[in-house]
Amino acid sequence: MWLLEKQYFLMQKGRAEMGNTAQNTEVLALRRSPAHHLWTDFTVGSVAGERGVTLREVPFQRMVGIRVDPTSEVGTRIGELTGGLPLNSGDVTTGESGAAVLWLAPDEFLVVAPDDGEPGPSALVTSLLEALGDGAGQVIDLSSNRTTFELSGPSARAVLEKSCAADLHPRTIAAGTAITTEINKIPTVLFKSADETFQLFPRSSFADYLGRWLLDGMVEFAAEGTSWP
Amino acid sequence: MSADHLPEHPEFLWRNPDPKKSYDAVIVGGGGHGLATAYFLAKNHGMRNIAILEKGWLAGGNMARNTTIIRSNYLWDESAAIYEHSLKLWEILPEELDYDFLFSQRGVMNLAHTLGDVRESMRRVGANQLNGVDAEWLDPKQVKELCPILNINDNIRYPVMGATYQPRAGIAKHDHVAWAFARKCDEMGVDIIQNCEVTGFIKDGNKVTGVKTTRGNINTEKVGLCAAGHTSVLAEMAGFRIPIQSHPLQALVSELHEPVHPTVVMSNHVHVYVSQAHKGELVMGAGVDSYNGYGQRGSFHVIEEQMAAAVELFPIFARAHVLRTWGGIVDTTMDASPIVGTTPVENMFVNCGWGTGGFKGTPAAGLTFAHTIATGSPHTLNKPFGMDRFETGHLIDEHGAAAVAH
Amino acid sequence: MLLFTCPNCGPRNETEFHYGGQAHVAYPESPGELSDREWAEYLFYRENTKGLFAERWVHSAGCRKWFNMVRDTVSYEVKAVYRIGELQPETLERIASATEPEQAQPLAPAQANPTTASEGV
Ligand SMILES: Cc1cc2nc3c(=O)[nH]c(=O)nc-3n(C[C@H](O)[C@H](O)[C@H](O)COP(=O)(O)OP(=O)(O)OC[C@H]3O[C@@H](n4cnc5c(N)ncnc54)[C@H](O)[C@@H]3O)c2cc1C
Ligand SMILES: [Zn+2]
Repeated sequence: MWLLEKQYFLMQKGRAEMGNTAQNTEVLALRRSPAHHLWTDFTVGSVAGERGVTLREVPFQRMVGIRVDPTSEVGTRIGELTGGLPLNSGDVTTGESGAAVLWLAPDEFLVVAPDDGEPGPSALVTSLLEALGDGAGQVIDLSSNRTTFELSGPSARAVLEKSCAADLHPRTIAAGTAITTEINKIPTVLFKSADETFQLFPRSSFADYLGRWLLDGMVEFAAEGTSWP
Repeated sequence: MSADHLPEHPEFLWRNPDPKKSYDAVIVGGGGHGLATAYFLAKNHGMRNIAILEKGWLAGGNMARNTTIIRSNYLWDESAAIYEHSLKLWEILPEELDYDFLFSQRGVMNLAHTLGDVRESMRRVGANQLNGVDAEWLDPKQVKELCPILNINDNIRYPVMGATYQPRAGIAKHDHVAWAFARKCDEMGVDIIQNCEVTGFIKDGNKVTGVKTTRGNINTEKVGLCAAGHTSVLAEMAGFRIPIQSHPLQALVSELHEPVHPTVVMSNHVHVYVSQAHKGELVMGAGVDSYNGYGQRGSFHVIEEQMAAAVELFPIFARAHVLRTWGGIVDTTMDASPIVGTTPVENMFVNCGWGTGGFKGTPAAGLTFAHTIATGSPHTLNKPFGMDRFETGHLIDEHGAAAVAH
Repeated sequence: MLLFTCPNCGPRNETEFHYGGQAHVAYPESPGELSDREWAEYLFYRENTKGLFAERWVHSAGCRKWFNMVRDTVSYEVKAVYRIGELQPETLERIASATEPEQAQPLAPAQANPTTASEGV
């Protein structure tokens, strides 16, 4: 009983402190993204030129999980904020806020927006929650659940194809398409954001492994005229 | 190369008779279990007018596809009893069958990679010792002494935290085991009939009186099913259900190597088991393919994963090559224990459900199933393994000791 | 490696899926009234068909939804993929060729299981 009370007290205290902007800014400065330690490796491992491929982490993107029947009334309400909800595998919608909404399943979507530097719930989450109201569904801030890797350049697809069995050919995956799949057995959401750019969203605990794995796959493109380093 | 230069064809070890009109007992399936059953029917129960019907060729099923691991370190009393009896039979069979089928008691280790594994393994060692099964717990250093090529460093995903060890366990040469039984069966008058598929049963009411085959109808007093992965198909023909599921189980061998691996190593946690056969090939297996399948083949990712696990445990294997992979059809039950007993059809008996681990059970299956067929009721060793356990709830859950196959 | 077509996501590698065994096994309507034998059948007995087999799969690394599939257990060829709650194509055909053709429509999920408690186990 004492423990519960104490926890409750600490929670309240934490909440109160969240309101303190000076401290929040400090907290933001202390954030470390899941692949922070690989920053140098990514820079060194990236390859320029005709066979080039670049890897970087895009830290702290805002992500929101939505579960709702897209054809229901509440689905429509939420869709008004997100440029509609995607109805099929691969589909991505974009609302006025600029956030991308990825189809994960017939009733599950992932909203991805750049880091807004907001320490608490962002305006985006708040507005989505308001749209949900007491309708059947769920809106949850999942920002630290996954990180973002951006793999781009002429050889980006070749690197992925070594260990992703889904068809990544442009006839199947055009720019603006997103799928949930596996890269070397790591469950990953893959968003082809531009012709030669893939955003990969692995869960944070896989970031180190996937980062190193991709680097390994990039090595061969650094060597001129040969497929071995 | 002309025929003159080929080595002389070895002598046939058994006759290839045509089926007779009737037998006292017919065994369906010419794998290890069918052969051992016929052997003990003839030897222990004096039944000589019997036939083994095999739809393909002798030992063409799982018998000559398995990775030949023999051990008896199962958890529960019922299993320890039947598997340990089997191991004791293995120890005398080379002499009894007058055939050196390379039974090698080089010991089997079951590795532990997590604290949960360690606790479960120590519990099993304790249970084994109470049941008179030779079992020991080894720390990583002792593991390394017995198998120097094993990586016991902390730098792998699932470091070796110890192992259970059964010194009397080991391997044998599976095809020779089949030939050894076949020769003795034949000597005692058993008809081994290959290319003879059972396609139906002849019944008088609820009593079986004969079998329909691709080589004609055969009358018989009794029928014993030893069809492993195909048991459900036969049970359906006979009009009863049996709680097994057939899955592909794969294995592979490398090219031949100098002796590097002195024992047998199994890991349920990282899913691989490995030994080195007498000729020198590394023999490896893992778990079943997840789906039901009668195709005698599985998917390549299963092979890939077991090789990845093997290379992590045995870095030296990175230099080896896969020579061949193959699959069998294994008959799994919900409690990972076999079914040996009577059926709802009178005079029909069933031995199946040995799943991924029935090679080691071959002698005991033969002994107890022969007893069941000859006397109409189970031997004390197979009594707990009747189909009725799924109704009474007396399951014998051996997933811990049998989960990764073998 | 097998290639399965998820009804939601399209063709993907077998490794993205998990197996769920025989499809259309209904939960007993009155569990309290089952005999031991019936319980055993519900819990432990499943068809083990050699040939066309209706089974469940889940696209665990994709949309995470369950679906049904008819697969040949000898050739491993996939013959049909259909959603949970829909009738097995074979059942549909059987209904279609029966006297009341208007029934040959997939039923709503709640009514869709074609097996009764006693035959479906
Ligand atoms: C890859 C693999 C690895 C394994 N590793 C091990 C191991 O290391 N240790 C261990 O203990 N066990 C192991 N096993 C399991 C073991 O091989 C089996 O449990 C055991 O062989 C089954 O008994 P059997 O030999 O009689 O089966 P089988 O040899 O399969 O015999 C059944 C026979 O029935 C015949 N048959 C089927 N239907 C009909 C019909 N209608 N008419 C006539 N004949 C029919 C088949 O053709 C077949 O020859 C392994 C199995 C596999 C596939
Ligand atoms: Zn899917």
